[in-house]
Amino acid sequence: MSPVEIGSLAVAALLVLIYLGMPIGVGMLAVSFFGVAALRNEVVSLRMLGAVANDSLREYLFAVVPLFVLMGLLVTVSRVGKDTFDVFQQLLRRVTAGLGIATVFANAVFASITGISIASATVFSRVAVPEMSRHGYTKKFATGVVAGSSVLGMLIPPSLLMIIYAVLAEESVGRMFLAGVGPGLLLSVAFSVVILLLAKYRPGFVFEPTANGEGRLDHRGDESDSARALAAKAVPIVALMVVVLGGLYGGFLNPTEAGAAGALGALVIALLRRSLDGRKFWNLLVETGQITVSVLFLILAATFFSRMLALSGVPRELAELILSSPLGPYGFLILYLLLIIALGCLIDSISIMLILLPIALPVAGAAGFDLIWFGVLTVVCVEVGLLTPPFGLSVYIIKSAMNDKDLKVGEIFAGAMPFVAAMLLSIGLIILFPPIATWLARL
Amino acid sequence: MACGPRAKRRSAIGTKISENRRSTHVTVKPHERGAPRSGRPAITLSRLWAALVDGLAALGTALICVLMMIICSDILARNALGASLPLVSELGALLLVMIVALQLAATVRADRLARTEIFYTGFRAAWPRAGALLSALFNLTGAAVIGGMAWATIRIFGKDFASGEYIGVTGIATFPTWPFRALILAGMAIAALQFVVLAFADLKTIFAPQGRKGKP
Amino acid sequence: QETVYLTVASSHPTVIPWVGMIKTHFMARTDEILAEAGDYKIEWNEAFGGQLYKANATLTSVEEGITDVGWVFSFLEAAKLPLSQASSYAPFSTSDPAVQLEVMEELFETNTAFRNEWESHNLKVVGFTGTDSYDLYTKAPLEQGFKSIDGMKLSAPGVLGNWLRGTGANAVDGALTTFYTDIQTGVSDGVLSLALGVLPSKIYEVAPYITRVDLGVAFSGAVAVNRDTWDGLPEEVQTAMVEAGKYYTASHGKDLLERHEFALNKMVEAGADQSPSVSITPMAQTDREAWVAAMPNIAKEWADSLEEKGVPAGDFMKAYLDGLRAKGETPVRDWDEDL
Ligand code: NA
Ligand code: NA
Repeated sequence: MSPVEIGSLAVAALLVLIYLGMPIGVGMLAVSFFGVAALRNEVVSLRMLGAVANDSLREYLFAVVPLFVLMGLLVTVSRVGKDTFDVFQQLLRRVTAGLGIATVFANAVFASITGISIASATVFSRVAVPEMSRHGYTKKFATGVVAGSSVLGMLIPPSLLMIIYAVLAEESVGRMFLAGVGPGLLLSVAFSVVILLLAKYRPGFVFEPTANGEGRLDHRGDESDSARALAAKAVPIVALMVVVLGGLYGGFLNPTEAGAAGALGALVIALLRRSLDGRKFWNLLVETGQITVSVLFLILAATFFSRMLALSGVPRELAELILSSPLGPYGFLILYLLLIIALGCLIDSISIMLILLPIALPVAGAAGFDLIWFGVLTVVCVEVGLLTPPFGLSVYIIKSAMNDKDLKVGEIFAGAMPFVAAMLLSIGLIILFPPIATWLARL
Repeated sequence: MACGPRAKRRSAIGTKISENRRSTHVTVKPHERGAPRSGRPAITLSRLWAALVDGLAALGTALICVLMMIICSDILARNALGASLPLVSELGALLLVMIVALQLAATVRADRLARTEIFYTGFRAAWPRAGALLSALFNLTGAAVIGGMAWATIRIFGKDFASGEYIGVTGIATFPTWPFRALILAGMAIAALQFVVLAFADLKTIFAPQGRKGKP
Repeated sequence: QETVYLTVASSHPTVIPWVGMIKTHFMARTDEILAEAGDYKIEWNEAFGGQLYKANATLTSVEEGITDVGWVFSFLEAAKLPLSQASSYAPFSTSDPAVQLEVMEELFETNTAFRNEWESHNLKVVGFTGTDSYDLYTKAPLEQGFKSIDGMKLSAPGVLGNWLRGTGANAVDGALTTFYTDIQTGVSDGVLSLALGVLPSKIYEVAPYITRVDLGVAFSGAVAVNRDTWDGLPEEVQTAMVEAGKYYTASHGKDLLERHEFALNKMVEAGADQSPSVSITPMAQTDREAWVAAMPNIAKEWADSLEEKGVPAGDFMKAYLDGLRAKGETPVRDWDEDL
């Protein structure tokens, strides 16, 4: 067998194993071990396995993973998300479907202090959904808005997905973060437009028929915060934004340090608000550890997988084949994005990136694509998968956080569909107008 | 987000730890059930094993805090005193590898490595014994690859120890790397054994007497 | 004609001059020599830019056969390649990379300890690499020359921190990617760095005052072939690689010297319109002498700590400095006088 045949066989074997349900990281390590053994020999293969275990994660940048995860979990327990929602709820109370739009923008702001969508989905399903239900919105719509806008969590910086892309593509994390801002705002606006259009043309989707009038919402009974109280609610989140984003873009902190400072800041807020005791904090740390391990173990395994591929020459051959075929660079791009969306129905975000990028990045590089733009497209497409059945992580998180027996998973998926459509439209816009992603990053 | 399909049931923060604890019991139960005659030593052994895995994980968990503190001290020293602390970036990188190695066994035990459930869940429910066999194969593969990592790390440990490999700069500050290698070795070895323990539990399901009439 | 399959790899991308030259000089020259006889042809599988391993594993990856041919970055292998660090502990000795590489090449033939420290790692060394010369890039001009750096915060990562000892300057850790913002935000007042690194990372925009100190060049590593691979190669291929390696080393030294001047000129050109504009001031020889005189004898410290472990570092430091002197270089300080 030629090296390329061995590499291709390994990729095929991996797909079968993943389908059967073998832990993805274990599958990658196993096929890579046999791949390298066939390409070189077992001794080299075993040594590469050891090298991967010892050296592939030994990178200061990776320390950002537990730190941003910890920060996300800390702000979740300290009710910073609820306060953010309160502020937007008050600001938008006179707008049609204002609570829906408030959820979107509260998510966008909350996104700028958390790097994981789990946090966004958990917080807002507990905060925004009950509030919307109380005001006559349908459960389908309320949970759909929360699911849709939770994707902002990993698009607007800081973002775990952007960090992982930056690592794999050897792009600067700071630039990738900046590249997420434009598309994040675009998505926020697109989501708001979708909400307004739905409220106008499909009120039955948005409002319960029992709501007064034709879906006009009554806020008269609500107590409202004074401007001062509202400002006080905004303080913690603004403070954290200043620490994380200000530190990062003011140049005081590198991404790892921004993560550490943000985590410490979130800890201070949680302690000041007395939302943390020793036991709870330890549990948060344990949870942080488990998320960290499951992410980094995948990165470790993917490192071995991409090294095996590099030895086999598969990515190089594939680049030559695709780019010389009538498909061309843009044909490849469309095919690649569709493949991500298809995989997104089945596997989690990070696994998709770690499986596809070692193969796709060399092709994208050979096609002459701007790798920051390519990365943003990758991340948005990967995030579509958070909302598509049968496996849509954000939807499942909302389901489990709501703890409502009457709420069907299918209902949340249906509620999220308009937002999936908005995402697809935004992807098209980013393809047609790359500066949406690259302008800020290349400034 | 990252933890794959499995994570969906554990996403709410409040439920996670109990979930974690429950899986501890899962590894204990087969022994309690399967070996009533030699029950006591088996329980003791499995408790010791669980304590070992938990202890390593707790060490890894504490390191997350240490990592945060070290980096924050460095920021403080650099911005307030104008001098950065030595070793921070290299130590941070190694601590991260430690965190992963030390918590891997607990993560494996809690079944939190990302996997798809398209085929797996339905298959296990429909054919419990064949499903357990598949699970055993997966777990043995995991034991083999993680065991391979541990095995290959022995040599790396030996070389680092012999050559006095260090991080940092001679004349400023240095720290030997072999203690880190030893912890990686321990973490990987125990994670591999944890996979074996899981495979053993699968085998018990396969050969459990009540599975005889188990065809649906 | 027989085809030989070889994997060539590096931790760094080919835009780094000496990595790019592995392809344009070492591989191309090997192919050329082989084509003349026509008996063998090499099919190269290129895995540059960290596809197979990162900077933290350049030595072991060639040693263990993960790649057949690769660049070993000796800077990051101080424990396994102690003698190769000598030039970093003897600054102000030469600013000509070509001369330094010639000396290292000769030492590799004549100094058994130096040769063994490489070959004991299952390697066949075919070419050598180094850096261009280090200078100071600061936010404010050094009005009093060397005296001005007393009390300054200077970014000087890793081993370079030693070069600031005794000068009164505080070394700030960092990397090429962090210097720009470190200086911009006042974390440091300047950086001790290489023209070849400063130019692409645009550090001159925030630190426009270039003081040409010529702190000297440093040995950075070697292009090496895995020994098992090497032993399996036909003699004709081996001979071709040895010759191509010599050509690579010589071309690389010359290239570094030219690029260094080119980079400095380019910075002045690119920074002409910024305010303040980029300027280059050479440091007076008396100031350079004052600088080395202020430093502790780091060469002796280094040699003594290695001698304790049984590494003949004293002799090697002497041989290195003597080699430079024999080629007409005059180290500003005789680091080896107390050895
Ligand atoms: Na975010
Ligand atoms: Na999905």
